[in-house]
Amino acid sequence: MKAWRSFSEGNWCTEIDVRDFIHRNYTPYEGDGAFLCGPTARTERLSGRVQELLRLEQEKGGVLDVDTDRVSSILTYAPGYICKGEDIILGLQTEQPLKRAVNPFAGFRNAEQACKAYGYEIGDDVRREFSYRTTHNTGVFRVYTDTMKKARHAGILTGLPDAYGRGRLIGDYRRLALYGMDFLIRQKEADRRALDERNMDDETIRLLEDVSRQIEFMQALVQMAAEYGCDISRPAENSYEAVQWLYFAYLGGQKEQNGAANSIGRITTFLDIYFERDLKENAITESGIQELLDDLVLKLRLIRHLRTPEYNDLFAGDPVWVTCSEGGMNEDGRTLVTKSSFRMLNTLYNLGPSAEPNITVLWSERLPAAFKKFCARVSIDTDAIQYENDDVMREAYGDDYAIACCVSAMKCGKQMQFFGARCNLPKVLLMALNGGKDEIYATQIAPEGKVFPENVPLRYDEVLEQLKIYLSWMARLYVNTMNVIHFMHDKYAYERLIMGFHDTQVERLMAFGVSGLSVLTDSLSAIRYASVTPVRDERGLITDFRTEGDFPKYGNDDDRADSIAQWITDFFYRELCKTPAYRGAKHTLSVLTITSNVMYGRKTGNTPDGRRAGEPFAPGANPMHGRDCEGALASLNSVAKLKYSCCRDGISNTFSITPGTLGTDDDDRAAKLTAVLDGYFSQGAQHLNVNVLNRQKLIDAMNDPTLYPNLTIRVSGYAVNFNKLSRDKQLEVISRTFHDKL
Amino acid sequence: MRVHSVESLAALDGEGLRYAVFLNGCPLRCIYCHNPDTWNPCAGQEKTPDELFAKIRRCLPYFKAGNGGVTFSGGEPLLQAEGINALAALLRTEHIGYTIDTCGCVPLSAAVRTAVKNADLVICDLKFPEEDSFRLYTGGTLQTVLDFLDYLRRIGQRTWIRTVVVPGINDSTAWLDRYLEVLRPFSVVIEKYQLLGYHTMGAFKYKKLGIPNPLSSCPAMDPQRLQALQEYVDQAIPGQK
Repeated sequence: MKAWRSFSEGNWCTEIDVRDFIHRNYTPYEGDGAFLCGPTARTERLSGRVQELLRLEQEKGGVLDVDTDRVSSILTYAPGYICKGEDIILGLQTEQPLKRAVNPFAGFRNAEQACKAYGYEIGDDVRREFSYRTTHNTGVFRVYTDTMKKARHAGILTGLPDAYGRGRLIGDYRRLALYGMDFLIRQKEADRRALDERNMDDETIRLLEDVSRQIEFMQALVQMAAEYGCDISRPAENSYEAVQWLYFAYLGGQKEQNGAANSIGRITTFLDIYFERDLKENAITESGIQELLDDLVLKLRLIRHLRTPEYNDLFAGDPVWVTCSEGGMNEDGRTLVTKSSFRMLNTLYNLGPSAEPNITVLWSERLPAAFKKFCARVSIDTDAIQYENDDVMREAYGDDYAIACCVSAMKCGKQMQFFGARCNLPKVLLMALNGGKDEIYATQIAPEGKVFPENVPLRYDEVLEQLKIYLSWMARLYVNTMNVIHFMHDKYAYERLIMGFHDTQVERLMAFGVSGLSVLTDSLSAIRYASVTPVRDERGLITDFRTEGDFPKYGNDDDRADSIAQWITDFFYRELCKTPAYRGAKHTLSVLTITSNVMYGRKTGNTPDGRRAGEPFAPGANPMHGRDCEGALASLNSVAKLKYSCCRDGISNTFSITPGTLGTDDDDRAAKLTAVLDGYFSQGAQHLNVNVLNRQKLIDAMNDPTLYPNLTIRVSGYAVNFNKLSRDKQLEVISRTFHDKL
Repeated sequence: MRVHSVESLAALDGEGLRYAVFLNGCPLRCIYCHNPDTWNPCAGQEKTPDELFAKIRRCLPYFKAGNGGVTFSGGEPLLQAEGINALAALLRTEHIGYTIDTCGCVPLSAAVRTAVKNADLVICDLKFPEEDSFRLYTGGTLQTVLDFLDYLRRIGQRTWIRTVVVPGINDSTAWLDRYLEVLRPFSVVIEKYQLLGYHTMGAFKYKKLGIPNPLSSCPAMDPQRLQALQEYVDQAIPGQK
């Protein structure tokens, strides 16, 4: 076959096995970035146009335009271009760049409110159509129990994907380039037939319907590509087609779904095989390859979904999480870094820093030294990339996994996840002290329990005993709530195309999360090592504490505090596993807040660690702001103690250091940052967001956004344009610990 | 040992990633001191070498990756040379090296000699280049520092020299020429000569401690001016590593 000319053959030729294809055909690269090319004149023109569009979008309050008359799907819109004739990689979500689509399948009211927030009204046709349709949101609320609603309202469970798409999926979009759609559909039809002889139980019927829906949308994608003049029914035959096919596959999913964080996966090592072949055939130049990737990245930077202001509260800065995983090691000991890993990072220079795609470097101690150094330089120059530990994830997921969203690993095309936001741990403690009542609304949410007396210092063992009871209660409620959500999402807002790029017999993960880990840890440490006396308010609820004496705090590499954090994650994970998850999913847990740490804090009363009501939590697994006082490495060591084995959905840590603290010049800084990453990850830590910047720069940008229009910073598993954050989130970011010398 | 504080990532005080231990007590009272809270030898926390070692060894993974180690600073760390030697014995069991960041204004006792001899690197201040200015601005004796530097030369210890440049006091090439003259006899062991700009970030400590701040109206050193002066000394000592 022409498309597969000169490729080494193997298992991948007879069944879908992209990993096998990569491993037989890729070229590891151990050199440096000297070969890289800058942007072409065409790239600069198109990039200039994109910058202009982004400026207009920002000027219009964050949304440039909305197509309110149609419902987004694969074939809803005619082809769109940034600049017809200039685009190389074709395809936009709608007919105009940055024009947002309406996607009400997960929740009509949500779509309506999102339109309203930006001064739009949903068109009559769409309204009429959805008056006859059940959305995911409607389905969920038909089933939610009173307790689920109360827990949700009080903010103990928050950010649940019950009104918008669940997201966090990574289709194996490489499959379309390698095999073409005809082959993929034939494979799905064979999978379907293999189910024919089964007893028609719930799961078999559901799966049969799933596969039928997948095929329907895979066929639709062929038509969409045809409208752009491309025949994706056959495999890609050259570099351009490989990038274009892959992008069509991803784009189709983004037209069909508005889920948060449907990521693009691990693509550059795959694409590099096509680039290398074309280079050998003299069919492309280095500059031409860079131009293809630059153009792909420009398209990825334009992906948008229509969100409500409440959604922005959870996930600030309008992120999409086109997470793109780079680097890592092959199980056979070779690196998976290729020249195209460098080329992807180089887009941050050619097109300027940007939050999207969310470039995630899969770090291993054994990564080529030149690549490590290059990554460190990119961090220092752009603050746009994050690092995750390939050495621990490879053990859990093999060597063909990718990251969805911020820190969620899954095997490409073989695993999917049911995303489940997070629960508010400090509120569970306050509930345990108040006999099951919420400290703000005074409503009885959990079963009644022991009420702690006033004016008597809390005893650690008694608190722990109650806390365990309520954490167990919380865990069961949480799993059951998630089961309802994902049952309904499958029923009413199933990701037909994205799941078409997964194996039919897909392995499912159910991803739970916690917020406020450092607040709960320090609170328990205060109760144990200092004296904490509860104070009641006029309603008889414990809403304040007198904390006397000092206590060890999480973030100082002090086992007394850090072991409490370890215990919390371990205990809560084990409790979650006690309640079976929908469709046999495997429970996973993350310590990740995105930017919702601000909102969670707002909904949480005073805590025994001295944090006042309403104050933000630290993000993810970070120590509380300013409490890590033995320096950066001690802080990193505390986080590194959290075990990935019970937090398989990721442990997010955001690290900010001033350039002057890190080293004397850029070379020195890069070497030292590399040493920090090696030292941190060698202890089994999972994730690090790296910012190398001065606090003053952020303060200046907050006061005058025009100073740094493209200021990109890492917040919690993703990067944002600092100017897109609301003022309270800007202030929270500024208040975080910046490791700084005096 | 009397410990003022620790800083697990002190990337500037030596090579690679450094774990800095700031020890209390100082024989000098430099006019531009930004750590007056380290002067009192009885302040800070009492820590045994074992306790410090337990903390430091947790940073081994970073030292290994980045050729790092411990830096003893202060205050004047060599006032606690016995403690340093006890801790150094523990550090040796893990092959962790250390750097001493000193004012050099300490008598060469047996303990000081041992601590200096076993260090990977000594960072020594040359605060002022003649007895008068030295006494005026630091309260100490230059000859003690010169004896210290001579000891470094005799044992062949790797040495970096540092000088704080304060606007209006010593921020001229004429001053720098005198510093360079003083350093000339020791140049065989000097790998680097770093100028540090005076900054005002320690001013709040004077207020907090109720100590009069003699430079309260002195501005921070301009980074570009400092850069120019650094280039001047770099040209004067071309052999710097």
